[in-house]
Amino acid sequence: MLAKYILRRVLASIPTFFGVTLVSYFLIWVTAGDIVPGVEINPYIKKEDIDRIRHNLGLDQPFWIQYLNWLGLPNLAAQLHLISGDWPKGILEGEFGRSLIDGSPVITHILDRLPNTLELTITAILLGVLIAIPLGVAGALRRGSKIDHALTALSVAGVAVPSFWLALMLILLFSVQFEQWHLPWLPSGGAYSAYQGGDFLDRVLHLIMPAIVLSFGYLAIWSRFGRSSMLEVLSQDYVRTARAKGMSERRVVYLHALRNALIPLVTLVGLELPSLVSGGAVVEIVFGWPGIGRFALDRAFGHDYTAVMGIVTFAALLVIAGNLLADILYAFLDPRIRYT
Amino acid sequence: MSGDADAEDKGFEQFEQFLDEWSRRDFLRNLGVGTAYLAFLAGGLEFLEACGGGSTTTTVNVKEGGHVVESSVSDLKNFNAVLTTDYTSDQMISMINDGLYTIDATGNLYPLLAKEKPQISSDNLTYTIPLRQGVKWSDGQDLTADDVVFTYQLMYDPQYAKVNSPRRGDLSKYVSSVTAKDKYTVVFTTKTVYAPFAISHMLYAILPKHVLGSLSPDDINTAPYNSAPTVSSGAFTFTKWDKGSQVTLTKNPKYYRGAPHLDSYIFKIGGASTQVLNQLKTGEIDVGFPGIGAIDPSQYDSAKSVDSINVYSYARLSFDFIAFQLDPAKPASKLFGDKTVRQAMVYALDRAAIAHALYFDQATVANTSMPPASWAYNKDNTPAYNFDKAKAQSMLDAAGWKAGSGGGTRQKDGVPFKFEMITNAGNKVRENLLVVLQQQWKDVGIDATPKYVDFNKVLVPAITDTRNFDMFMVGFIWNPDPDQSALWHSRNAVAGGFNGMQYKNPDMDKVLDDAVATLDQGKRKQLYFKMQQILAEDQPAPILTFPNGILGLNKRVQNWQYGTFIGRRVFMKDVFVTDGK
Repeated sequence: MLAKYILRRVLASIPTFFGVTLVSYFLIWVTAGDIVPGVEINPYIKKEDIDRIRHNLGLDQPFWIQYLNWLGLPNLAAQLHLISGDWPKGILEGEFGRSLIDGSPVITHILDRLPNTLELTITAILLGVLIAIPLGVAGALRRGSKIDHALTALSVAGVAVPSFWLALMLILLFSVQFEQWHLPWLPSGGAYSAYQGGDFLDRVLHLIMPAIVLSFGYLAIWSRFGRSSMLEVLSQDYVRTARAKGMSERRVVYLHALRNALIPLVTLVGLELPSLVSGGAVVEIVFGWPGIGRFALDRAFGHDYTAVMGIVTFAALLVIAGNLLADILYAFLDPRIRYT
Repeated sequence: MSGDADAEDKGFEQFEQFLDEWSRRDFLRNLGVGTAYLAFLAGGLEFLEACGGGSTTTTVNVKEGGHVVESSVSDLKNFNAVLTTDYTSDQMISMINDGLYTIDATGNLYPLLAKEKPQISSDNLTYTIPLRQGVKWSDGQDLTADDVVFTYQLMYDPQYAKVNSPRRGDLSKYVSSVTAKDKYTVVFTTKTVYAPFAISHMLYAILPKHVLGSLSPDDINTAPYNSAPTVSSGAFTFTKWDKGSQVTLTKNPKYYRGAPHLDSYIFKIGGASTQVLNQLKTGEIDVGFPGIGAIDPSQYDSAKSVDSINVYSYARLSFDFIAFQLDPAKPASKLFGDKTVRQAMVYALDRAAIAHALYFDQATVANTSMPPASWAYNKDNTPAYNFDKAKAQSMLDAAGWKAGSGGGTRQKDGVPFKFEMITNAGNKVRENLLVVLQQQWKDVGIDATPKYVDFNKVLVPAITDTRNFDMFMVGFIWNPDPDQSALWHSRNAVAGGFNGMQYKNPDMDKVLDDAVATLDQGKRKQLYFKMQQILAEDQPAPILTFPNGILGLNKRVQNWQYGTFIGRRVFMKDVFVTDGK
């Protein structure tokens, strides 16, 4: 039953894939204009150079051809002897395309950075979940209390404070000032020390500030969500029933209420799965974190179609997988949900 | 009153300024590929200026060993010098692969792989270059004339047209052939006498033919060598590139100019330019170098106060300028067509105040288009256009632009003096600059409105193609050669050319043509003095300032050189660290 459901979901996501990539490609195509990725504007570079490189990269082709080439359909057709000619390899043949700026396979760019990004985002999401749930529960149980108000203030701050500002403040205090005060200080940039770095402790030290900043945003939203969800559940009939049959308050809250209150939170966290890959872009930039988000922005500014499209595709696949995973988790959390 | 308290106040002011600077928009600018440098109309090679340049040589004894970490805001793009145009990649390449020549502090050729300066034939068309013998690639192979010829073939030979080299257009315009006369002699033949040829085109890092020679032109674009150059000729060899994180280089003990003192050199790739100073303070990086990881001008004073680092500020080969619409077919030329008006508009500007307020004093007011460090710079170029509001007003009056009875915008024949100035959105300094220009011109009855546009989609086409603008403001970076035809010659007023204002002066054209048609530096200098004279008179595009680059060095780093023309890092083999770590 489950296998069939998954298969159907996967098939249903194929049009989604084409839709997402087509729209993305169109957007990049529109904004890039006549630019040649990676070639700076410069009086010593002639118009003929720009035109020649555009032609070599196939950027002078009509939009539809460019998109199909990116997918690799003409090349596929040529290999099946349906059409003739020399067509570029596309994303369907692996490698996620080749960067227009440096000519290397986009998948190597993604895979090189993926561990760093996952290290940061998984830590941040875990940190967020582990702190947000108790905070949300506490807020819901002591509704209107000082704790609740403090949590409200915290979550407003979490949403309102821009992450780059928070990041800079932390750096100024815990890196620059602490170093000047001769206190143990935290490194301000990178995922590990440039020289002889990379051991476990070194990586953890580099991870602390970026993970805190990134989780701060999650924390704010999730704790609010957890609180309201918990409040709603606590007013449900089955909670009253549980209390009426003399179950201890602790069991009511943690066994019955919390489990049900978590369902919407799972959706929310599931929606963050694509941000495992991209969500930390701002934090990655301030902390010089060698992740995918920073790379994506870099290449978007550089109009590197294939690199951006590779990341978009990668992220799209993750969203599709993430939603599927969240749906499966529902059933685990709520037996009333059935797959058909 | 204590000096310390003063310094503290100033530090605090700087901090506040720094916070102001960090608007979201500014931040987004920092996200960009080349950060602020993206916003420049960049020259082929970007070089530094000797204005206050020099070397950090000390009496400390040289120590062997150790490492240096340098900040780089953007990541490397490509190790293949034939394909790159960005300064960051170029700097990293210069650590591992040498060219025939580099440029010395005065802007002249300095032999690297070449044994001496080129021998030039009597018709000034043929350059014969003897190579150093015994230079070896890091894999032990000889570096010979074949490697040089191969490298240049990739850039000019029609059979390699599929190689995406942006240098092909310029090289194939001038090069007739590049051949190996024997194992250690290369001969360049040019189609016309062109003085900037050697200095513009003989600096590229030479590639190993035995590694890349068997590849098809298409495969050169995607060769593994481009991201992992396992064979090299420079002071350092490539160890690894952790994408987005760092580029690690290791000393080449067999470097033909002598083994470097350092054991390893690391470029740490950071994401935000404002982080450079923080990391210099904590010691996470040792070097913040203008062009790839400079200290922000707003942080100059704050950087100066840090004990552990030395800070050097010096003008670069770039300048910021405004350009008038001079095409008679465009409406704005009615305002700017008269050179008295253009001169008056420059007199109306308090550029010293601009340098102070917008560039934090890290810029020099320009009285010519020639960078002060160039051998062709005329420091006595006149007039200097010092701020003189009264003179500006009387000149505008004389030109027929009369202020109304109650002040307000000047008019002539019923046309109000009103126009729009454009620059690229997101560049904070330029955006603020336009507001200051608006204010200063308003004081003399000129109504200018700033407008911020997208660099690639709007500004560049406006400058090089459609030319639909009244006035634009951008920066420009010169090649080390003083030839400025790109900006001032009428043949570059065509589509694709950079003479965006459509400035056409036959005298100017002749001076520029004559100056590249002789290899006699004395004659060239005279002609460039003439050029600067004509520009001062005509003011087609007034140069506002030469902005400085700010170099930060941890005090443990010694023997570093900086200056106008020090681009490729020949000095790197001499750099050492005092602690030997």
